Amino acid sequence: MITSFAIPTFPEATGSFPMVTDATSKQLFTGLVLTKNMEFVDDLLTFEELGSYLKSQGCHVANLSSLEFSVKNGIGGCLRSILRQFLMITLDAADVSILATWYREQGSCNNPVVIIIEDLERCCGSVLSDFIIMLSEWVLKIPVVLIMGIATTLDAPKSILQSNALHHLCPCKFILGTPLERMDAIVEAVLVKQCSGFGISHKVAVFMRNYFVSQDGTITSFIRALKIACAQHFFVEPLSFMIWFLLGDDNLMLQGEKYGLSPEMMLKHALSLPSCQSIGSDKIAKQHGETIVNGLAELKKLQCQWSIVILCLYEAGKCDKVTLLDLFCEALDPDSFKSRAPDNGGGLENDSGGSRDCYKHQQYHTTRNSGFICQAVQKLRDLPAVQICKLLKGWEKYTVNVPQIHEKVKKLLSEVKSEDGKGSGQDLSTISKRHASRKHLKIEDSKAVNEKAAKLLESMVRNYMQPLECAAFHEIVCFKNVNALQTALIGDPRRRIQVDLLEVQNIIQCSCCSSSSNALLPSMHDSSILYTLAQEHGDLINLHDWYQSFKSVALRLSNKGKRGPNYSPSPKKRKATTKPAKPSEASIQARFCRAVTELQITGLLRMPSKRRPDYVQRVAFGL
Amino acid sequence: MRLMVIRVQRRCVKPSDFVNFLRGDLTSVIEKLKSLKKVGPNKSAGKPNGNMLYLIFDNLELIREWDKSSTALSFMFNLYDVLKMHELGLIFISNTSPDTYYSNMGYTEHVPVYFPEYTEDDLRQILMRNQPNRKLYSSFLDVVLRPFCRTTRRVDELSTAFSPLFRKYCEPLSDLASVPNEEMKRRLFSHFRPHIAPSLNEIFWVPSKSSTEAETNKDTTRKGSTRKSEVGDHFAQIDFHMSTSAKYLLISAFLASRNPATLDASLFDSTGGSDSRKRKRKASEKSIEQKEVAEQELLMKGPGTFPLERLLAIFQCITSAADSFDEDEHENDDLRAGGDGGLMSDVLLQLSSLCNANFIIKGGSCPLEGSTRYRSTVSEDLALKVARSLKFPLPNYLYRR
Amino acid sequence: MGIENLAEKAQILIRSRLCSPNFIFKPLSDSSDSNYSKLKFIISSSIMEACNNSILLLGPRGSGKVAVLELVLSDLLEEYPDTITVIRLNGLLHSEDNSALKEIARQLCMEHHLLFSKMASFDDNSQFMIAMLRECGLAHKTVIFALDEFDLFAQGKQRLLYSLLDAMQTVTSQAVVVGVSCRLDADQLLEKRVRSRFSHRKLLFLPPSKEDVQRLLEHILSLPMDSSLACDYAAEFNEKLQSILADKRFKEIISNYLNSNSTTNHLLRFLFIAISNMELKSGFLSLENFKAALSSIQRQPKQECIKDCSILELYILVCMKRLEVREQNSYNFSSVMKEYKSVHDSFPTSDYYAQNVCLRAFEHLLQRELICFTDNRGHSQSIEFRQVKLVVSYAELQEGLKSYRSCPVSHSHNSICF
Repeated sequence: MITSFAIPTFPEATGSFPMVTDATSKQLFTGLVLTKNMEFVDDLLTFEELGSYLKSQGCHVANLSSLEFSVKNGIGGCLRSILRQFLMITLDAADVSILATWYREQGSCNNPVVIIIEDLERCCGSVLSDFIIMLSEWVLKIPVVLIMGIATTLDAPKSILQSNALHHLCPCKFILGTPLERMDAIVEAVLVKQCSGFGISHKVAVFMRNYFVSQDGTITSFIRALKIACAQHFFVEPLSFMIWFLLGDDNLMLQGEKYGLSPEMMLKHALSLPSCQSIGSDKIAKQHGETIVNGLAELKKLQCQWSIVILCLYEAGKCDKVTLLDLFCEALDPDSFKSRAPDNGGGLENDSGGSRDCYKHQQYHTTRNSGFICQAVQKLRDLPAVQICKLLKGWEKYTVNVPQIHEKVKKLLSEVKSEDGKGSGQDLSTISKRHASRKHLKIEDSKAVNEKAAKLLESMVRNYMQPLECAAFHEIVCFKNVNALQTALIGDPRRRIQVDLLEVQNIIQCSCCSSSSNALLPSMHDSSILYTLAQEHGDLINLHDWYQSFKSVALRLSNKGKRGPNYSPSPKKRKATTKPAKPSEASIQARFCRAVTELQITGLLRMPSKRRPDYVQRVAFGL
Repeated sequence: MRLMVIRVQRRCVKPSDFVNFLRGDLTSVIEKLKSLKKVGPNKSAGKPNGNMLYLIFDNLELIREWDKSSTALSFMFNLYDVLKMHELGLIFISNTSPDTYYSNMGYTEHVPVYFPEYTEDDLRQILMRNQPNRKLYSSFLDVVLRPFCRTTRRVDELSTAFSPLFRKYCEPLSDLASVPNEEMKRRLFSHFRPHIAPSLNEIFWVPSKSSTEAETNKDTTRKGSTRKSEVGDHFAQIDFHMSTSAKYLLISAFLASRNPATLDASLFDSTGGSDSRKRKRKASEKSIEQKEVAEQELLMKGPGTFPLERLLAIFQCITSAADSFDEDEHENDDLRAGGDGGLMSDVLLQLSSLCNANFIIKGGSCPLEGSTRYRSTVSEDLALKVARSLKFPLPNYLYRR
Repeated sequence: MGIENLAEKAQILIRSRLCSPNFIFKPLSDSSDSNYSKLKFIISSSIMEACNNSILLLGPRGSGKVAVLELVLSDLLEEYPDTITVIRLNGLLHSEDNSALKEIARQLCMEHHLLFSKMASFDDNSQFMIAMLRECGLAHKTVIFALDEFDLFAQGKQRLLYSLLDAMQTVTSQAVVVGVSCRLDADQLLEKRVRSRFSHRKLLFLPPSKEDVQRLLEHILSLPMDSSLACDYAAEFNEKLQSILADKRFKEIISNYLNSNSTTNHLLRFLFIAISNMELKSGFLSLENFKAALSSIQRQPKQECIKDCSILELYILVCMKRLEVREQNSYNFSSVMKEYKSVHDSFPTSDYYAQNVCLRAFEHLLQRELICFTDNRGHSQSIEFRQVKLVVSYAELQEGLKSYRSCPVSHSHNSICF
């Protein structure tokens, strides 16, 4: 922390004179926070929380967004915003000396003023440069620390700010975790570690992963997809309340009765689930007893084992930058599990030539060549001894609940430690040529450990990594409907509008249109008449033809004849509007123009331009 | 001179109100000054009595960017005549020379006081002030002052550039108060020398102090590597996260801005655009000249604008080409985007994200008309990095590489 | 020291003279056909005959129009106390009719000790003005309107002028409108209906003749014998002054200066700087003071800017000049960089810097206004792609390069080649 020698007097501190001339003391300490994410939506909370943390430490914090640095508002806009946040008043003529006076009146000047600018790239460069220059002139009177969030690279300030503002900054960079790292943390905490019991199917996971990697790129939408999946699952699956069981609540039956389900109904529904059907209901009865409870307990155990293996794989894959998300998706695949451990069991327990196991399977199944699991296992063979040790320690921690694996891991760890002890105290690089052979031996020894670790991992993968979809009753806890999720996430507003326009009777459910006939009736809405007519044309629609067809539809009299009030015998009750009057040319033209404008506003066509005054252009196709 | 702080805030829009308020306030200030100072026998009322009031206007050249700047400037310059107060003095500080303020209304000449830029000797004296170890700093300046003065003579830029460099210079020294002799100067210079050239070419220097950076640096830096690795953007990868469709959209935007629209048909045909190689015939004199002219035009105009449809068309071509390319290579169908709607949906959302990150800027008019035009602002470097991360052969598509 | 003290006092005296217009213009006004006398005659006759009048004072800026007007007004205020009200308006402030009438009303209220309301509308104010004119007319009081920057009042619809002059004609009033303007064609700017109500009296303020200048110099610079300054010092001072004034070189300096800046104000400014240069140790004025004053006023601003540039900035200027010489009229920073690279390829120097350093130098040049943008598209394109052009001429650039200290040889080499 840098403090100054003396405190300026009140008039000096609140006026612009005396000015500081030495450039190095005019520098603003700036923290450049690299969010490593092109989208800003994932980091909205970051800066908020940073601000509240700094406030709790006693600093005065103001959050500014890039909108306050627009050309329209100029430097007055950001000053007004700052004053609003600190002084709680809105001023027309915002001046920095007001800020100085306020700061002075805060008493002890030990707390800096922190200004957080959330996204640098969206700010207008000239306004921000002026702001920085102004702050640097006042920095001895208002000690300001700037924090700027940068989405792209450290070159961004250079390209946005002017050079006479750049040299006022004394920067220090802070790099946040990449979205992929954050995603791994989320997958680990939410999906792998079974915090809620809720799971997703392989297809859903793959869809969500692709959505993140290829299309959207934000963690926010991943979390939103999870929430949607959750909500939809609980909405659709009646037995989904049983997830409580997986969390440790044993009063399953009581709960069922609370929801109005009798135990028999629940059992019947559970046994009719596809997973039970495929395994065979009698087999279930044999394996899992009469109740669902046992089934779910078995599921829980399988899931625990599965998550442990995944975590171990992740530890191995970390060295090769394999992400947990990829491992997770691959591990969820029921087909790959079935291919890894064929029903004839045994045989492959034999670890001879263990590394060939993976490749052997590839002869039968073409897709495993570049699998992430294989990659993680393969990496294990190349790790140096130190990292193997660290890895095994991690595995030891994870496998506490599975005694079989835990024993093997402990054995391996003691082997590694003993080898380490042999060569301890000697740096590899300082071993002289006399000991070269011993070094060679040591490497071979460590290679053996690697091999053993790899084989152990492979056996874990084969025997303990049974994905959720291979277990019975998994539909209770697993969400599988990719299409529903896709529609909810992506939507397709254009398609929706077109469908609605062309099949308007499905929504309005009017009595005049029957859903089977495609005839255009004059009672339909003008824009849907026009759009249906537009389907006959290609790219360009001739306005005159279109108008003529529209007119013919509008003037077409209803074939159903005269109904309604005419039937009343008494002439008094006859309403004046028995026969709808023929619409006038002017009103048809007006309706036509209005409907075309509506179609333009919904983005389905483009108005005539100077080059083509007689044609409108269709912009949306492909229904 | 005495410094008095008078806090008055009034809002006035018209210059006449301003002058009236100002005159009133100035008169009251002068009255106050007079009452504080004893009036001597030689002074007579009406003449300036020695306690002047100076109005100082700094950064005058910024007024030229205001609306109605010519009247504002004439008003400022004639303020003395308007106020007609003898105790008032006006001082204008401007970064540009007086001839930039000439207007067609006639110009009340003021007394010019010119501050020339500092010479090297002046700079040396200024920079040596307040230095605890003058001899050491002087030897430092012997090394850096001359080369840096060739790029800029502004004392503020030099001093902010020198302070981290001085720290670097003093690194081998254990005692910062020691006076360097010739041998030590040579040693310091040889240690410092490799840092001079990169710092000459850098205007914004971000030091890295965070621990994670230090850890990754342990893995990647060799001994004696220059500071370039610390800056972090020297790697051939992009540093930040983008989704795949955003990357493709970025490349499409870059191509749309870089290539003239007439080339699209030939570059983006159904075979995926690798046809550009076939076009290289023997170049004649005239075509070389034409190409040079075209290249100059490109340089000059900067990135061009393109309408949305062109961007979407290029995007569609690239992604379909990439999809077919990828499907041959990877058999891992599970983890690829399923179906042809995979990359196309929500492209417009990606477009707005790219605009927010300042990779694409808008340059157009009425959105209903559909004639909004966009412009890509990415550098070729970044586009190449992005293309490399996608394994997309961007150089094949660039016009006249 | 005695002489330093005296010199300082002399300096103060002369400088205070230079700053007071009364002192300057009084002697010029003594003759009967000077502008002062004519103006005084017109206004006083209209006061005495109780009639309306209007007059324009025209002349270049700094010729003393306002000074003479103030002299006349102060004299008249002494001669005819309580019969004159002076309303002063300035075209820079009050060209808008609303504010003009408000100001007139405010000044009238102040003069006649009435309460002025800021909320009064335009109509209220104009009615008030007309009423006051009538009242003053009935009370045989003259209202003198001094309109400075008269040409600015003639912009737009000229409502104020029309209402003022119309009121003067219709209402029984005694008013004199004195317009002061730097535009010699100020009366041509008036609308027909305004011009018809305006008398065509004009007083031209011409630059002082040689004899006038001589007389003025002596009047200002000679120390009085009867002041607090020691007599012998004053006498010696005046003697030295006379010798300087008679010197041919001095006459050359003065005529050189007055050739380009011929008004009285310019002369006064020149004398101010010269007298500030006076060496207090010697105690007397010398010819060098005047020479120094001349060089400090007559500057070459662009040359100075060029001398202030760093070497990289000069490189960029030379590259731009080469581009322009090659008839490439529209170019931007990227083309300049290309040229820079090609220059460096053909004459390799150590001065080849990276793009961002060059961009910084480019921005410095923009700030100094040695180059400027040719478009005003503002923020739609980044700074590297906007078209620029040189603001200095090639000759100035050449001159600047020649006189640049420590200029690298290749610069002049480059400039000579093109």
